[in-house]
Amino acid sequence: MGVIRWQLILPILIIELILIGLALFDWFRTKETNGHRWMWLFIILIINPFGPILYFLIGRKH
Amino acid sequence: MMQWLAVFRRENLENWRNFKWIWVPIVFILLGVMDPISMYYLPKILEATGGLPEAASLNLPQYRPEDIIMASLSQFSQLGVLIIVLMTMGLIARERRSGVAELVLVKPVKYRTYITAKWSATSLLVLVSLTCGLLMSWYYTNILFGVLSFQQFLQVWGFYSFWLLFVVSISMFMNTLVKNSGAVAFLTFMTIILSSIVTKIFSKYLVWSPNRLSEYIMDTINTGTVPGELLGTAGMSSVLILLLITGSVFMLRTKEMA
Repeated sequence: MGVIRWQLILPILIIELILIGLALFDWFRTKETNGHRWMWLFIILIINPFGPILYFLIGRKH
Repeated sequence: MMQWLAVFRRENLENWRNFKWIWVPIVFILLGVMDPISMYYLPKILEATGGLPEAASLNLPQYRPEDIIMASLSQFSQLGVLIIVLMTMGLIARERRSGVAELVLVKPVKYRTYITAKWSATSLLVLVSLTCGLLMSWYYTNILFGVLSFQQFLQVWGFYSFWLLFVVSISMFMNTLVKNSGAVAFLTFMTIILSSIVTKIFSKYLVWSPNRLSEYIMDTINTGTVPGELLGTAGMSSVLILLLITGSVFMLRTKEMA
């Protein structure tokens, strides 16, 4: 597998990190979420890359 | 006009505050990039993980750049549309339930202004996201699979925009129909699914159905000429979008007056 071209993969990793970072930033700021607050932390961190998206779509309280 | 700009700005600010302006483009970029990369690495992954006997020869189809960009489009049509619908399901419904809509509409803001400004702000967000996603898909396709001309990219981008704007308009209309955001999402999905089934059954007659945009876009980039059906479909989509917006204004007016 020495053929992975990092210049292809790296931008995507960075974008995913931004997404996770943003979700975490928002998670730390808010006091209340839909559903258990700590559950969302695990969803953001573990389900990749859909955890942060799910958090923004249904986890945030409006 | 000043009023329209005020509502439009308020929507945009709102979209900044809940980070939509960052995460929606990112999601579309990920969706656009997924297929070019996974199709590029698939043969290599199969080779590395092995499991195939020596004699077995691997016959993977040779992908053309056109196939790859169409694969990205189908990602947008599935997960992309899913995300747009979930994102817009509370657009007006939530404000109507919490009473913010009344606060806005008590001031002399016209229903027409309120609806068109909201539609424009959402459409702008969706179009910018689609542009980011398609650009990345186009870029990776060019690097990994071969050249797809800028003209082809523009054709895909321009005509596919009609489909996403159509989805936004349906969702907007459902927002004025019911107050529950879950019901809005459900009705929007049902409309999209039903229209696609009806289009499949009566494909002989429904030549200009918006559901056939992707199909015609594929013909366009494969043959290099824009078929008349595609122009007709784009025109029909615009008409339907206008009807949905007008319908939303009408529904909101009758609902709020009652």
